[in-house]
Amino acid sequence: MSTAAEFEPKIVAYVCNWCTYLGADLAGTARLEYPPNVRIIRLPCTGRIDFNLIIKALEVGADGVLVSGCHPGDCHYTSGNYHARRRWILFRELLNALGIDLRRIRFTWISAAEGRKWQGVVTEFTEQTRALGPYKELYAAGPVPNVPAPETATTEVRSFAAETELRATCRKLLAEGTVKVVIGYGARGPVVVTRPEDADRLVWNNHCYSNLTAYLKRKEIKALGKAAVIVKPCDEKSLVVLETESQFQRQDAQVIGMACEGVGQPKCAHCTARTPRFADVTFGKAAGPEPQGSPSPDRFAALMAMPSEERMAFWTEEFNRCVKCYACRQVCPMCYCERCIVDKNRPLAIDPAPSTKGNFAWQIARAFHLAGRCVGCGECSRACPAGIDLALLNISLRIAVQENFGHEAGVDPKAEPVIGSYALQDKEDFIG
Amino acid sequence: MDNVYKPDLMEVTNVRQQTPDVKSMSLRFLDPGRARNFSFQVGQFGIFSAFGYGESTFNICSSSNWKDHIEICFRKVGRVTEALWRTEEKDVVGFRGPYGNGYPMEAWKGRDLIFLGGGIAMPPIRCAVWYALENRADYGDITVVYGARTVADLVFLNELDEWAKSERVRIIRCVDPSGETPGWKGEIGFVPHVFERAQVAAKDPVVLVIGPPIMIKNTLPILDKMGVKPASVYTSIENRMKCGIGKCGRCNVGPLYLCKEGPVLTMEQLQRLPADY
Amino acid sequence: MSEIISQAALRALATEWISAGKNVAGPARVKPDLVLYRPLRSGNDLLLEGYQRPSNSIKEFLFPKSEKLYGYKIRGNSIELTENDTPLAAQVVIAARPCDAAALPVLDHVFNWDFHDEFYNRRRAATTVVTLACIGYDENCFCTSVGLDPGSDRGSDAILFELGNRQYEVRCTTEKGRALFGGKTQKSDLTGRSATGPEKRFDSQVVREFVGTHFEDPFWKEHALTCIGCGTCAFSCPACHCFDIVDAGPAAGNERVKTWDSCQFSMFTAHASGHNPRVVQAARQRQRILHKFVIYPEKFGEILCTGCGNCTRNCPVGLGVLSVVSEINHG
Repeated sequence: MSTAAEFEPKIVAYVCNWCTYLGADLAGTARLEYPPNVRIIRLPCTGRIDFNLIIKALEVGADGVLVSGCHPGDCHYTSGNYHARRRWILFRELLNALGIDLRRIRFTWISAAEGRKWQGVVTEFTEQTRALGPYKELYAAGPVPNVPAPETATTEVRSFAAETELRATCRKLLAEGTVKVVIGYGARGPVVVTRPEDADRLVWNNHCYSNLTAYLKRKEIKALGKAAVIVKPCDEKSLVVLETESQFQRQDAQVIGMACEGVGQPKCAHCTARTPRFADVTFGKAAGPEPQGSPSPDRFAALMAMPSEERMAFWTEEFNRCVKCYACRQVCPMCYCERCIVDKNRPLAIDPAPSTKGNFAWQIARAFHLAGRCVGCGECSRACPAGIDLALLNISLRIAVQENFGHEAGVDPKAEPVIGSYALQDKEDFIG
Repeated sequence: MDNVYKPDLMEVTNVRQQTPDVKSMSLRFLDPGRARNFSFQVGQFGIFSAFGYGESTFNICSSSNWKDHIEICFRKVGRVTEALWRTEEKDVVGFRGPYGNGYPMEAWKGRDLIFLGGGIAMPPIRCAVWYALENRADYGDITVVYGARTVADLVFLNELDEWAKSERVRIIRCVDPSGETPGWKGEIGFVPHVFERAQVAAKDPVVLVIGPPIMIKNTLPILDKMGVKPASVYTSIENRMKCGIGKCGRCNVGPLYLCKEGPVLTMEQLQRLPADY
Repeated sequence: MSEIISQAALRALATEWISAGKNVAGPARVKPDLVLYRPLRSGNDLLLEGYQRPSNSIKEFLFPKSEKLYGYKIRGNSIELTENDTPLAAQVVIAARPCDAAALPVLDHVFNWDFHDEFYNRRRAATTVVTLACIGYDENCFCTSVGLDPGSDRGSDAILFELGNRQYEVRCTTEKGRALFGGKTQKSDLTGRSATGPEKRFDSQVVREFVGTHFEDPFWKEHALTCIGCGTCAFSCPACHCFDIVDAGPAAGNERVKTWDSCQFSMFTAHASGHNPRVVQAARQRQRILHKFVIYPEKFGEILCTGCGNCTRNCPVGLGVLSVVSEINHG
């Protein structure tokens, strides 16, 4: 009885030029045999490996991805592999949250002298991938599990105390020319006020959802001159991150902080502070004592308790609704690139079409670009016209960053950014 | 299904590098039936494909009297033009067209023709000049003033020499000040000034002026002094295009869709349009 | 004499259409606070009360967000083009709102302006639109300001009017509608109702005149300051149809794909040279209103807007067509 032709897995191996590539070469010259299933892509350093390359290999049909470079301490460029390792720690968490089969991505350190190790790793990984079978489950639809949805917002509008005080202060700031523009909340959404008499358009109530710091990056706003920006305590954390990334200088703006009575669910589900900490002036009364500890990860725990295929089915269903309107990007204060990666076409790193693959590529890229930077303001989720649970996606990395590096974005102005720094003791229990 | 977005396949037959970043190429249809029933008006454009990269819009810069091929001339400036730059003879590219409204060569019959162009604007002028020379008796005096930033940026220079050999044709080449090379025999100066200095004596000419907005802006007062009405001054406007057939909503200048009601416009039309290009 | 149908029978009918191999789409609850038009798996998924209108439009069933135009196979020097010949099943959109259905005859013009877009035309021909007239409206609705009303059957093949107690009057307006409902309804002497209103919020003629003559007005700059330049309004709109043609190469399967695009994106009109005619958001906002209220009417005699209000409901910062236009002209 003959069976169908045996499945030959396709393995893509991203290897660094100085260690692993030479190690593979050594395996060749030493005539060490290993399966021919691996396609080697040589890069100068593991630090050069964009996370996007890893997921793209799976998207174009690879059944397994091998990533390999110099041992820590041996990097030809001194610290490239340390940066890579840090990124891998977080990228694995994101992929895991998405339900992508982590057994199909292997990280390893292989030196130029380790031809035999190359032989062993490639053989073992090929056989393991062969046993797993073709990666048909990538972005596969399936029965969608019941992930608890975020609570919904209230429709009733409730004014907060301090609205009058706020208007008076802004009127004064404009009249005296201390600022040329006030970015604040109006009856139906954000307003940009340039004349003192228009300060009465400003409101402060339980529908003041927007993170107004997102306006600081827009050139039309910058052109108006020095700005005053009204921030809730959650929004203010964005300013801390922007300052760390040299996008915002305190002396170039007036920060008007509002102690917050709560704008309700779902935004307040992630509340970590009720009073702004670094504002130039603060109004209002907080809804209660400062919350203790990090935001509740209950919904995330429910997601992670599911088998990975169900997680995959959940996210496939969510992302299939994406229309690539980029509202998530436009409302996000951290998305300030003058030209976003998805708008670039040399190279075309992310498929711009709103297909399943194109949507996953975009959502993965944006989520990972926010690693260690997302403050959990929840605007992306609120803005999405297709109701995609972006808050849940970003929570996965916020928790990963907290658990692995003790970091919470927007809290400590002196904290090092997570991506872009590394520690010698970063974990590597997943690296072979 | 009749697929208006599907391109015809064309083979690259001749590639010439005009400047460090400009190439021209000749293309012929792979399908002889399509080649037989294809015709276009000079001034129309096509949307050309580099498969795997995308589409780009170029004027068809060959004369409509040339039956066996069409030509394009483009600057390497983005993803698609870089891919087209890499093509060689026998490579296959795509073509959709001809689109747009073309030059009213019939209406221009009997008139003196003045062509003013800068840099990469020569290709859309070239097709009209060849057409006029091939129908020489239909047109009056022909004047061409063509300039670029430097000598190296001038395209189709050898053809300018060919044109000068015809009757009642005056060719003036120029480069911007400091763009000349030792031994440069042409004029030095910007196209509008060189044109003014040339004191072209034309009776009720048609003027086709193509180039950057600043060049056009500086040329108009000179034409006005010559007594040329805006309705006799033509230009071809560029805007970003995708579909080329009036559906994707991208190329409009105010209410006018350049892919259908342009890109050839008179100054009279252009002056009535908002600054949306 | 009228024809009526119960809600239960309507749902059963939808299930029948699905079993017969038709693609049936209608409003469904996707999240606790989100209703979208979605392909239905059965008539029970159909949501018929408890919302004003879905957050998306029905255009995606005739003009998908991503549609393959053709594929290409590259073998050395030779290219082979492959068609998108997927056979199209018959399609029913059920419980569309009048402001969705009315956009279809409006879109017909541009998709057939000299060149015929058969991708759209094929789907249009294969689709039967069953509209559910509105019995209410919210502060974002303005269909009556653009020549429509909550009971309009424009673009519909059949229209349902609420009778109360989960019954609907069915009025078939085309052969397609009659083909769906023929023999499936009961005779009655009841007639259904639709809302009378909303009041006209602006005069579209006044708007057209202002917008057509105030291209350089500072009004645009002031108004657009809070616009963040996403594509939410265009993509939620039943009438917006701007698109891109994307070729993402071998990694995306060697296809040319038509995808939704928005004039609000900063790169929409950007030239390869770097020049961008609409480099500020004010210019892009102006284009949207100009296209809807001046350009499209000039070319095709129709306003490119049906007053559904989705742009305002979905805009992350509370803008939308109504907010601009009511500043130009209060009703």
